[in-house]
Amino acid sequence: MLRSTTGRVVAVTGASTFLGGALLRRLEEDPTCARVLALDVRPPALAPGAKTQFVKIDLTQPTIDGELATLLDRHRIDTFVHGAFLSHPTHASEWAHELEDVGTMHVLNACAGVEPRRFVMISTTLVYGAHPKNPNFLTEDAELRGHRDSRFVNDKVRAERQVQRFAKEHPGVEVAILRFAPILGPTVSNMYTRFLSRPIAPVLLGHDPLMQFVHEQDAAFALQQAVDSHATGAFNIIGKGVLPYTTVLAMLGRVPLPMPKFVARSLTKVLWATQLVGSPPSFLDFLQYLCVAEGTRARRELGFTPQFSIQRTVLDFLGIAPEDGATDVSRAHA
Amino acid sequence: MTDDSDPPDPSGDDDYSDADPRVPDESAWPNRDLGFLGDDVYLGEEARVPAGFTAQPVPAAATSGAAELRELERRVAQNGTPVFPIDLRRRLPLAAVWRRWRALAMWGRSDVVDDFGRDPRATARWEWLFEFLYSRWFRVHAEGLDHIPDKGRALLVANHAGSLPYDSAMVMHAVRRDHPARRDVRPLVEDTVFHLPFLGPIMNRIGGVRADPENAERLLMNDELVAVFPEGEKGMGKLWKDRYRLQRFGRGGFVKLALRTGAPIIPVAVVGAEEAAPMLGKVTWFAKNIGIPWVPVTPTFPWLGPAGLLPLPSKWLVAFGAPIDLGTAHGAAAAEDRLLVNKLADQIRMRIQSMIDELLGRRRSPILSAFLG
Repeated sequence: MLRSTTGRVVAVTGASTFLGGALLRRLEEDPTCARVLALDVRPPALAPGAKTQFVKIDLTQPTIDGELATLLDRHRIDTFVHGAFLSHPTHASEWAHELEDVGTMHVLNACAGVEPRRFVMISTTLVYGAHPKNPNFLTEDAELRGHRDSRFVNDKVRAERQVQRFAKEHPGVEVAILRFAPILGPTVSNMYTRFLSRPIAPVLLGHDPLMQFVHEQDAAFALQQAVDSHATGAFNIIGKGVLPYTTVLAMLGRVPLPMPKFVARSLTKVLWATQLVGSPPSFLDFLQYLCVAEGTRARRELGFTPQFSIQRTVLDFLGIAPEDGATDVSRAHA
Repeated sequence: MTDDSDPPDPSGDDDYSDADPRVPDESAWPNRDLGFLGDDVYLGEEARVPAGFTAQPVPAAATSGAAELRELERRVAQNGTPVFPIDLRRRLPLAAVWRRWRALAMWGRSDVVDDFGRDPRATARWEWLFEFLYSRWFRVHAEGLDHIPDKGRALLVANHAGSLPYDSAMVMHAVRRDHPARRDVRPLVEDTVFHLPFLGPIMNRIGGVRADPENAERLLMNDELVAVFPEGEKGMGKLWKDRYRLQRFGRGGFVKLALRTGAPIIPVAVVGAEEAAPMLGKVTWFAKNIGIPWVPVTPTFPWLGPAGLLPLPSKWLVAFGAPIDLGTAHGAAAAEDRLLVNKLADQIRMRIQSMIDELLGRRRSPILSAFLG
């Protein structure tokens, strides 16, 4: 295998996630990048290129930090991208906790010894939580409220707190945290795409918060920018514009099912317990209150400006070209 | 639909010469006019080559490439997992039904809202109601509108009354209707109203923004016209006996805002809102359980049920005062001086109180002054 010896070496955990895979593909074409270590429990879906090497790493194993440290040391890792996070809530919450919270601890233990030049963490804007007191635009300095009884969000908040502490204790490492707004697009799969793919969507009677999405291509571009830049701190990665929840449903042609919150809560509880829906009852707060972030920091310091408006993002998710909305609606029935 | 009657391609050399089992042949497909189904009914006729398409000679190499590509596209489409059986989808006008539903669902809303959620189409939809309340029901007389700048930021500070925020709606409508620049006022709405079911989202769609210092600062920095009601919930919860007596002005947040953003403060006095919904008393003991701070008791509510929430037709006077420029007088740093902020807030409160008193002296009767003149 041909391997160049100059250029940086990048390690990516969660290499078979959507963002991880997108990053691998972009790094493969990047001449300044010498090699890429793809770390995950299963190999990335697309055949890796010449630079990419897959190493099986299971972050839920108790002694993985030592293995990871030797690996990082041997390959002289320059940039570490930590993206081993779940894109949708799971019933195996113990395992999810081991992976996201404890797994981040393992990753940071390994990085504390080796000290890569740069550490990039993939997070979401859900860590701010949907709260009645949220301002219309949450800046990166806003408190990470997390979410009452949502382990899916709270594990990410705890992971992020660990990374922030790591950044304070290791000033020699450039630490950047990317908080992505919910990612929508034709190929990505996460909690929001699953939720919006169903023909019927619950609406909390009389509530209609503004929502925000980022297009998958914008998200992938932002991640690449973050890996390449030297900026440190937290960055909200958001799309252009906001839309009310019911307008998003109308644009997608979904049938809204309005119900009072207590009905929706008990219904979702039953459906979640029987594994008929993919979002736990705590997600309903995101249908009631605002959780919209502001992206000027990413624009200023990462040079990331979203190219897709929210309308375009929603139509792209549907598979409709915005120029002639009548050509292909085959995905719409899915 | 119209090319149903087109003759099949004579060359027989097209990309579809291999029989596609999913395309019904001519005998299974009666040749009749399906125009009544509308233009967007999906009948699967895209597999037919338009008449003019094969007329131009295409180089052989290019044809095979395109055919290969199209065959690949067809296979990709076939291997996708349609939830709805593909054959059925070809025969039923599902796509059309779905598109109709989409058009219906988008009725009365626009697919573009501004950063704070104001929807121009929804605003236009409620316009008639505000116009009716403004000119027929409350017979609002607005004066001093020339104090509002044609462009640039300004902070309207007004008194607050009534169990529902009719006063902010009327201030908004007065500026949009009678000001030469037809500017949009963004009223800051208290949490208790903003999170009310139905009312909150409607207020948000027509321009209301949750009262939050960060939101207000962002709006003013965008050179918007922002209306604040510093009495807040206390102003709305005033009893009839306290009418037109200004309550405390919060913690002077609006003064800090004006100092920090350099926006001039325009004092606004609204007279008439107190009589529109005179609160005789309020019940608090179970209100918290249903998510509102109190249940008002007015001459009509709760006696007449929900109809009792409609305002009484009182005569309204709205006066916009001369702008007060705190930013140039004190500088942005003064926002940290709590004593000064409180003093300035109280000065503005006195100013609005005197404007209210002046208007009250001029008004003859709360209900009948329109008829008395």
